[in-house]
Amino acid sequence: MALKSERIKLADGIYLNLINEDKFKSNLLSFYIIRPLSRSEVTKNTLMSLVLKRANKNYPTSMELEKKLEELYGSNLSLGINKRGERQVIRFTMEWAKSSYVGEEYDGEVIGILKDMLFNPVLEGGAFLKSHVDQERENLRKRIENKINDKGSYAIERCIESMCNNERYGIYPLGYVEDLDEIDERLLYEHYKDIIRTSPIEILYVGRVDHRIVEAIKKDLNMERDEVITIPEDVLIDSVQTKNMVIDEMDVNQGKLVIGYRAGIHHQDSLYNPLLIASDILGGGPNSKLFKNVREKESLAYYISSTIYKYKSIMLIDSGINFDDFDKTCEIINQQLEELKAGQFTEEDIAKSVKSIVTNTESIRDSIFLISEFFFSQILSQDRRTLEEVIEDFKKVSKEEIVEAANRLKIDTIYFMRNKTK
Amino acid sequence: MSYKEIYNETIDERILTTVSNNGIKIFFMPKKGYTRKYAVFSTDYGSIDNVFVPLGEKEKIEVPEGIAHFLEHKLFEEEEANIFEEFSNIGAQVNAFTNFTQTSYLFYSTDNFYEGLELLIRFVQNPYLTEENVEKEKGIIAQEIRMYEDNPNWKVYFNLLRAMYHQHPVRIDIAGTVESINAITKDILYKTYNTFYNPSNMVLFVIGDLSFYELVRVVNEAEKKFDHVSDEILRFLPEEPDRIKERIVEEKMMTSMPIFTMGFKDRDVGYKGKEMIKKDVVTNLILDMLFGESTNFYNELYEEGLIDGSFGAYFSCKESYGHSIIGGQSNEPEKVYERVLGLLKLPAEELLKEEDFIRLKKNELGNFLLGMNSIEFIANNFTDLYFSDFLITDYLELLKEIQYQDIIDRFNFHFKEDNLSLSIIRPL
Repeated sequence: MALKSERIKLADGIYLNLINEDKFKSNLLSFYIIRPLSRSEVTKNTLMSLVLKRANKNYPTSMELEKKLEELYGSNLSLGINKRGERQVIRFTMEWAKSSYVGEEYDGEVIGILKDMLFNPVLEGGAFLKSHVDQERENLRKRIENKINDKGSYAIERCIESMCNNERYGIYPLGYVEDLDEIDERLLYEHYKDIIRTSPIEILYVGRVDHRIVEAIKKDLNMERDEVITIPEDVLIDSVQTKNMVIDEMDVNQGKLVIGYRAGIHHQDSLYNPLLIASDILGGGPNSKLFKNVREKESLAYYISSTIYKYKSIMLIDSGINFDDFDKTCEIINQQLEELKAGQFTEEDIAKSVKSIVTNTESIRDSIFLISEFFFSQILSQDRRTLEEVIEDFKKVSKEEIVEAANRLKIDTIYFMRNKTK
Repeated sequence: MSYKEIYNETIDERILTTVSNNGIKIFFMPKKGYTRKYAVFSTDYGSIDNVFVPLGEKEKIEVPEGIAHFLEHKLFEEEEANIFEEFSNIGAQVNAFTNFTQTSYLFYSTDNFYEGLELLIRFVQNPYLTEENVEKEKGIIAQEIRMYEDNPNWKVYFNLLRAMYHQHPVRIDIAGTVESINAITKDILYKTYNTFYNPSNMVLFVIGDLSFYELVRVVNEAEKKFDHVSDEILRFLPEEPDRIKERIVEEKMMTSMPIFTMGFKDRDVGYKGKEMIKKDVVTNLILDMLFGESTNFYNELYEEGLIDGSFGAYFSCKESYGHSIIGGQSNEPEKVYERVLGLLKLPAEELLKEEDFIRLKKNELGNFLLGMNSIEFIANNFTDLYFSDFLITDYLELLKEIQYQDIIDRFNFHFKEDNLSLSIIRPL
């Protein structure tokens, strides 16, 4: 059965998207707030979200809120902050067990808690609670500093940052330590009001759609709004002016290599699907060129893969290797990419990659969260295709197109984390 | 074909079970309307099984650390075929993992599932080891070990296990060390394989919108004939004292702030099945009641800035070991440790309120229901529980049976200052 979404306008720039899917044991409701990725507000947006998640008017302390969620059969409230191209997306989600499984009707109550989180914060003298802002400021400071603990994702982040240091995409989505101190409870509350009045907000509900649930979501959301901001398009770069080599020396046991390439192919371009398949053939999984050559043949790495970053249209290859194997690994990667560009792969390789992408896309149907993310991503990229159409389009890609897409890839930045040399 | 059916009304799920012609236990949970199909083929064999009597021999041997994991890597090697490629050909994705007590091989697909199932059974039952391919794997696994060495959360956890346990092999890294894997040879791998990959030691769990009849037929056709279906495998664990080995261990690493874990070592071990799972659930409920996000403890320390959202606690146990782990990051880990000790000085009835118990049981019911949405969650938990002689479909009934008094009794027994170790990783 094809998944469909019904889209309802609730206010200027606020839309409710209803996806009726009854096979899960839970329902899921998400509010996605979309902002341009900008240095001047990224830190404030993150801190604001952390403060909002702490409590609300009806449950003014974290303890009361948490007790209530436990009481409501472990209803799961989560917050996600990330960048999708040159946008910062803040997601508040509630997932709760269907009332039919627990023998108690509580949908309206859970939905109310999620909405209060966004629209009814705890206030004190016309500002956020000082104690919450102070605590979350410190927590955010630590969280940003903690990037370094996960060496793999830190290396990827550093590569993107160096590669895009003059572009908005280089901005770290959780914000900056040096911007934290100037944000107090008053400034943050003013910022919050602005965000609520001017941001595009997409509400996605996946689960059993019934009249009472829809009414509970809609209630009080026909609010007054200022002019809703327009989110600027991503700036794609398809040529490389200066190639970059960045080395971080640290006390580590394994080297982390990340190589960034520009493709410059917009996700609505007909070459975008071919680009995804090219990247999959190169480094998508255990059947890929990089896995076979870098890992299986040369035993240089445990993991190596390539990934396309959709909105910005860049490709990153990342791997963990011995410090001394840097040159050798780069050489093999380069050689494999050249082979890809020269069309040295078979129709069979294409078929495998297409199947793998199709299997993963089809699997979206089995996760209530991924269904929500899929429909949101379609809205964000103004893509009107259904999941079924998205899948069909992958099957139409030709070898010529893959070669053409691969040839658009231009190396931009090589990042290497290594041990300290004396 | 004779089979058994188990149905649970609360979760509205059923499990069908039978045994293949050669003794593989097969379990199947139908999931109507799901696109993905998932199979996981597991052996009751993990990193702690490093002393045993090989099949057909009389003397016990000790094998190098990391061998179960090494074997997991090597089973993907075939003489003529490339396993990854064969799975890719049918649009399926294959993977495997090793932990302390089990090794599992899994794949999922949306199409051609039965072909994948045949491949899964065949490759796990057909080891192809040569001196050359064993050597080649050492470089790859060395990189996997190096990757973990740079992970402070992994380090702080294994340092804690080494502080709690004197002898028990749970203190050994699952992947071994770069040195220990160098001692692994083709012959030891075969010996280990023949002992632990006997059908009598294995279980297959399949989940998805599939036909039980058809999948059993596929397994019966694909499986290897075994002349000798082994009796019980003789495995040995060293004598492990009740007391912890060390109180506090520390290491310095490339991190932004100190990371800590502390662990209460469980003295009440040595059984499986319902009794063990009940202990597991009871202890986890206690940890929620003491350290969860709705507790005074959590909120006080959070507001004082001693802990943050990374703080958490859980209990983990198997037949031969068990421990409650409390961890997170803090600029003052010793203070958190002192506060934990201070908390435990209060009487149980004051610390553990019946209303919290009732509420957290509801919370656990909901968590389990949400988990039942995910075929991966079900498959992984099924196998883990199965090797402890417990069926996942009985979980909610067990949860219902737990009484407040169970909480008090267990608390008084398990949470003692003298069986608490602390492990800290500090920034360089």
